[in-house]
Amino acid sequence: MTTIRLWWLLARSDRRSAAVLWLPVAAYAVVTTLLLLVIGGSRVFFSWNDDMAFGYQLLALIALTLLVVPLGTLGASAARLSARRRDERLSTLRLLGATAGAVAAVTVIESSALALLGAAVGALGAALLAPLIGLIPFRGEAIGAWALVPAPETALVVAGVVALAVTSAVVSLRRLVISPLGVRTRQNAPAQRWWIVVVGVIVLAGALVAMNLLGAAGSAGGPITFLVVIVGGFAATLGVLGLIAPAILRLMATRQARIATKPERLLAARMILESPKAAWSQVSGVAMTSFMSVVAGAGVALMGMAASSDLSASDAHLVADIRTGILITVIGSFLMVACSVGVNQAAGIADRRELYSSLHQLGMDTSTMDAARRRAVLSPLRVTTIGSALCAAVFIFPLVGLSVIVSPLTLVMVAGVLAAGFALVWLGLLATRAQLARAARA
Amino acid sequence: MNFTILSARDLRLSYGPTRALDGVSLDVQVGDSVAVMGASGSGKTSLLHALAGILLPDSGAVRLTAPDGPLEITALSDRERTRLRRERFGFVFQQGLLIPELTAIENVAIALMLNGVDRGAANQAAAGWLAALGLAGLEDRRIGQLSGGQAQRVAIARAQVTGASVVFADEPTGALDSQTSAEVMSALLDMTVARGNTLVLVTHDAGVAARCSRIVDVRDGRIVGERVGA
Repeated sequence: MTTIRLWWLLARSDRRSAAVLWLPVAAYAVVTTLLLLVIGGSRVFFSWNDDMAFGYQLLALIALTLLVVPLGTLGASAARLSARRRDERLSTLRLLGATAGAVAAVTVIESSALALLGAAVGALGAALLAPLIGLIPFRGEAIGAWALVPAPETALVVAGVVALAVTSAVVSLRRLVISPLGVRTRQNAPAQRWWIVVVGVIVLAGALVAMNLLGAAGSAGGPITFLVVIVGGFAATLGVLGLIAPAILRLMATRQARIATKPERLLAARMILESPKAAWSQVSGVAMTSFMSVVAGAGVALMGMAASSDLSASDAHLVADIRTGILITVIGSFLMVACSVGVNQAAGIADRRELYSSLHQLGMDTSTMDAARRRAVLSPLRVTTIGSALCAAVFIFPLVGLSVIVSPLTLVMVAGVLAAGFALVWLGLLATRAQLARAARA
Repeated sequence: MNFTILSARDLRLSYGPTRALDGVSLDVQVGDSVAVMGASGSGKTSLLHALAGILLPDSGAVRLTAPDGPLEITALSDRERTRLRRERFGFVFQQGLLIPELTAIENVAIALMLNGVDRGAANQAAAGWLAALGLAGLEDRRIGQLSGGQAQRVAIARAQVTGASVVFADEPTGALDSQTSAEVMSALLDMTVARGNTLVLVTHDAGVAARCSRIVDVRDGRIVGERVGA
C-alpha cells in the first residue's frame, strides 16, 4: 500500500515525461478502435447461413488474423514507451526501499491503467465511427447496425488490449535491471543462433514445395485452396522472416559499420547491430502489408480477368466484396504500422535524451542524428518489404502463375501499397523529429 | 605566447526567477587550466555552457581568439555555434556520455568524421589517442564493456582528437572513486594543458580543482573569489 502511495506521489510530480504519456494512450486507442471496427464490419458475415456465408466468414477471419501482427507490434511499442517514461520513478521507489516485486506490481498496474484509458477512448471512437463503417456495402447491402459492436464484446476487446499491455510490460520488465541507482537494460543480448536461420530456410523450402504440390493438384480446391495458401503462405512468410531477417540485418549492418564513411551511416549501422531483432520488430508489421500487396495485386488482377467473363450476381458481389475487404485490411494495417513507428521512435528518443543532448553539445547537428535514426529504420524496412514481397510472389506463383504476378495491375498495386507504406513510416519518423530537436537542445 | 583565448564580459542569465549568472566576467589565458568551483545551483555549469556556446546568456558577450581572428560566440547563430563546438572545442562530461552502440575507437573517430575526415585517417588518429591514454587493445570494446575510468579516458581522447584548443569538462571525475579520479585528472591535464591547450573545468571536488592553475569560486551566479592552484 505504501509503495502505491509513493508511486502516486512520484507519478504526479513526473511532469517532464508527461509529453510522452499521451503516446501510449493514443496507441492503445488506435488499436482498440481499429480492432472494434474490423470486428464490427465482420459481424454481419456471421449472421448469414447460406452457401456463400462460409467463404465470407473465412475472409473475415483472415482479415482479423492479418491485423494481429501490426496490432501486437503497436501494443508492445506502447507498453515499452510507458515503461521507459517511469524508469526514474522505479529506481527512486527501489531507493526508498520498495522490493523488486512491489516495483514490478506497480509497473503492471500503471500499464494496465494507461491501456484501460486508451482502450476506453478507442471504444468510444469505434462507437462514433460505426455509423460510417455501417455504410460500407457487402453483398450489395450496407452493413448497417452490425458495425456497432455490442457492449459485452466491446468489453472483451478492451480486456484483451489491457492483457496485451500487461504481457508486454512484464516482458519489458524482464529486460530491465531496476536497482536503487537507476534502470538499465540487461547487457549481452544472446548471440545470433545460426541454427534458427537454417531451420527457417528449411521451413521456407518445405512450404514452397507444398505450395507447388498444391498448385500441381490443379485448381481443384478453388477459392478455399487459394485462401488456405494465403493464410499458410502468410504465416510461413512471417515466421521465416522473423527467423531470417534479424540475421540478414546483422550481416548487412556489420558490413556497413565496417565501411561507413559518414557518421550517420556508422551510427545507423551500430543502432541496428545493437539489436537486429528489435530493428526487425519495429517494421515487421510492414511485412504483412508488403505480403498483402502482392496477394491483393494478384487477386485484383484475377478479378479483372473474372469480371470480363459472365458472373452470377452472387459471384460478382463476392469479387467486389473481396476488393473492399482487402482495401480495409491494408488501410488498417498501415495505420497501425505508422503508429507503431511513431511510438517506437518517441520511446527511443525519450530513452536517449541525455545522449542526444550531449551529442548536440559536442557539435553534432540534429540533422545528422535524424539521418542516423532514419537509416536505422528505413534500411530494415527495405529488407522487410522486399523479402516479404518476394516470399509472397514465390508462394502464390504455383497457383496464379507468372502472368498474373507480373501483370500491370499487380505491379501497380504492389508499387502503390509499398510507396504508401514507406510514406507512412516516413511520416512516423517525421512526427517525432521535433521531439528529437527538443531532446538535443535540452 | 600568452594571450586571452576566451573572454566573457558581464554575462547574465536567468531561468524564470532564478539568476544563474549575475554579471560574470572572466578571462581565460591560452594554456590555462581553470577550475570553476561552487555548490550545486551556484551557476558554474551555466557559466561553462555560456563559455562553450551551448547556451546564450540573456546579455553579455563571450569572445574566442581563434587562429583566424577574434570571434564573438554570443553573436553566432545556433548552427554556427554547433559548428564551432565541433571544430574548436572538446567536451568531457561527468558520465562520459559516449555513444553506447559504438566501440571505443568509433566513439573517438566519429568526432573527426563529423568534421569531414575520412574513416581510415579518423581511425588511425583515434587509435593513436587511445594508445596515448593507455587504452591500446581496448579499441573494439563497446562502452558498456569499459570501466568508468576507461570510459572517461575515451571521452578525453574524443575531446582532443580534433585538435581542440579549448576543452570543457563538467565534473569529469564526479562518478569515479578517488584513485581513478586522480588518474583521469592526470590524463586530462597531460592531454590538454601539457600540450599547450586550455582546460576549463567545473567541479565541486577541491582536490581536483587544486590540480588546476586557477580556481574560480562561484556563488549565486557571481564570481566571488579567485585563487592560484597547482
